[in-house]
Amino acid sequence: MLLQQILNGLTAGSVYALIALGYTMIYGILGLINFAQGEIYMAGAFATVLLLSAYKVNFFVAFLFGMGVAAVLGLILERLAFRPLRGSHPLVPLISAIGASIFLQSLALLLFGPADRAFPLQFEFAALDIAGVTVSTLQVAIFVTALFFMALLVVFVKYTKFGKAIMATALDQDTARLMGINVDRMIALTFLIGSALSGAAGIMMAIYYNTTYPRMGLLPGLKAFSAAVLGGVGNIPGAIVGGLLLGVAENLGAGYLSSGYKDAVAFAILIIVLLVRPKGLLGGRGH
Amino acid sequence: MTEYFLHIAIISALHIILALSLNLIIGYCGQVSLGHAAFYGLGAYTSALAAIHWQASFFLTLPLAGVVAALFGLGLGIPTLRLRDDYLAIVTLGFGIIVDLILLNLEVTGGPDGLVRIPPPQLAGVDFRNKFMYLLLVALVVAFTLGLIYRLVHSRHGRALKAIRDHEMTARVMGINAAAYKISIFTLAAGLAGLAGALYAHYITFINPESFGLHTSILVLTMVVLGGMGSILGSVVGAGVLTILPELFRRFADYQDLAYGAMLIALLIWRPQGLLGTGKISQKFSLAKNRAKKGN
Amino acid sequence: MLTLKSVHSYYGSLHVLKGVSLHVRAGEIVALLGANGAGKTTTLKTISGLLKPRTGQVEFQGEDISRLSAEAIVQRGIAHVPEGRRVFSTLTVAANLELGAFARRDHQAVKKDLQEIQERFPILRERARQPAGTLSGGEQQVLAMARALMARPKLLLLDEPSMGLAPRLVQQVFAIIRHLQATGTTILLIEQNARAALKVADRGYVMETGRISLDGTAAELMDHNEVKRAYLGKGYQEVWED
Repeated sequence: MLLQQILNGLTAGSVYALIALGYTMIYGILGLINFAQGEIYMAGAFATVLLLSAYKVNFFVAFLFGMGVAAVLGLILERLAFRPLRGSHPLVPLISAIGASIFLQSLALLLFGPADRAFPLQFEFAALDIAGVTVSTLQVAIFVTALFFMALLVVFVKYTKFGKAIMATALDQDTARLMGINVDRMIALTFLIGSALSGAAGIMMAIYYNTTYPRMGLLPGLKAFSAAVLGGVGNIPGAIVGGLLLGVAENLGAGYLSSGYKDAVAFAILIIVLLVRPKGLLGGRGH
Repeated sequence: MTEYFLHIAIISALHIILALSLNLIIGYCGQVSLGHAAFYGLGAYTSALAAIHWQASFFLTLPLAGVVAALFGLGLGIPTLRLRDDYLAIVTLGFGIIVDLILLNLEVTGGPDGLVRIPPPQLAGVDFRNKFMYLLLVALVVAFTLGLIYRLVHSRHGRALKAIRDHEMTARVMGINAAAYKISIFTLAAGLAGLAGALYAHYITFINPESFGLHTSILVLTMVVLGGMGSILGSVVGAGVLTILPELFRRFADYQDLAYGAMLIALLIWRPQGLLGTGKISQKFSLAKNRAKKGN
Repeated sequence: MLTLKSVHSYYGSLHVLKGVSLHVRAGEIVALLGANGAGKTTTLKTISGLLKPRTGQVEFQGEDISRLSAEAIVQRGIAHVPEGRRVFSTLTVAANLELGAFARRDHQAVKKDLQEIQERFPILRERARQPAGTLSGGEQQVLAMARALMARPKLLLLDEPSMGLAPRLVQQVFAIIRHLQATGTTILLIEQNARAALKVADRGYVMETGRISLDGTAAELMDHNEVKRAYLGKGYQEVWED
């Protein structure tokens, strides 16, 4: 039972971590809580589902397509809703992000309707029974894929020129410019990466729960933000640890307390972290 | 027809209270609450439940609604505003979702069906089912809200608030407890939203969680931004405009949220001071672009 | 090499530079002196593109660079070591150095330069894997200067390199400046420590409230009564002397 909950929690948590990475990177570089992150997650899922329903394409092609759509949407948002407001009081881009979030959500509602859509899967997943714990190969696939993306990001940030330039921009924009770093481009790149990861998260959740709908991004968005705060906003390993912990805590809460309030666990954690350790477990950085 | 206009006037007045209170948070905490509708809902449910279960007079349940909403505001403000005020938006968003969840799941709140047969206010000889009388009652609370804000701005505390608003660092150095002031403002604003909720519940006489969700919080936020962040008159006008416009464009009701979202972004880019913002706070949001870091 | 022609710069509505004209010839060290708030840092920021002049011209090697972005100016060969060092504190020392060469495309040469710089400043090699924020103030200054050198600049702008450093380290910083000049780098230098600056400089400018109030060779300025009174002061301990 306990092990089962932990396993389920790690699956969901690895997806939260992917979204949390987007929050944390964008917050690190712009000091902005990107409220539209959940809608980008939703857009990635919809793009994949629609493509798979309409054409007989390979699943992996559709997956990459969904990530691409999410990334482009992130870039458009940055360009239209955030860049014109750079340098304003921090509240201004925050409200703009809220506007973008509600806009995308209602746009999806108008375009796709409120009904759930199932995920048109092309292959089946097996359920493995290991010492009384049921693990589906889907869970394993999600967890491994999420870890792969996380590892990719960490390697990118730590070992590539542009990754380091993003970190430098997050630390000190003026000095980054003095190195010849184009700050606008680094911010756009951050949105691109964060959005692609959120898109991937959306697709995986759409498969996991076999459902896609316009408001699907709201709760995972909030949970991922809580995960980012738990790990320390602006801190990349923090987002990963925070996401995994949050997923586990949520499933344990649902299993041992009440499943009706499963979604409240993330929020309770957010409040407790703010009260007890506002910098998060691994410490915040950036703005 | 008169009935209809009176109805619009009452709803406008309720929105004015909500917009004014949210504007307080924006102006003096420099932050935005996305759970404003939740405080509105807490007020509505508190007052309705007290009236239904204890047969309490509206004139007792109204202040009770305010106090309960304010207490929730306090509980939320302390962890959030103490150190990191930039989390207020997302914490209140989460709060809104939780309140919604609780209202939907509890038995006492009637779940998704909500509460019905909420008694209208009773006062010797006055029939508050008459919309005109109810409008007077709501107008009284609007006047109370305006008076409170006026008193606040022009008191000793008002000067401290201004100092925090304009130069938070300097204010802190001067020994002003910025966090305590922000928490107080947030608590007050939550309480005012609670009052509006009670007025709504006993006017409509049936409530369900739907009226107090994110949609309503965004609506109020759009009112404030449209009118002008920091402008009192702006909130009044913004609330009026965004109550009347949807009535005129009922056919496009499905596009409402889409329009609010687009409007928020467009206003911030092209007219961050809103329709009427000219004061100090509006400048903070619109002219910040030119304010450069100090250096030589 | 570098010429400023009646440059006016603003912070928002604050008029900071009120018609600054100066020039730096190739191979020179030029010192920019003046009290706090005179506009020295603003002058450097205007040259490196962090700030755009409202009117006036900044010419570098015959090209008007006053409308170029900071990134483009770095590529033209101007490196700016900002006041307070501003190393990227959570990045490693090595990453800081690599970022200094961000604008360059000659990757092989960058590698070679990194080797050379690490040889010249062994501390940067020893601490290569350490976050830059863990270095001491003096080490951070060395890192900031080395980082700028990684861009292979033709012109180096130094803003208060000796600020807040212990006397021994001040000496070391000025030794680096001399060495850079010897290897052909042109330098425009801001210093609170006017005497030390004039010791290494060929020429100097004195700024007052956004204008150049005085200019001359280092020797002339050193002897100038105004400069002596205002910036050199009597009994100033000559800690930078060997």
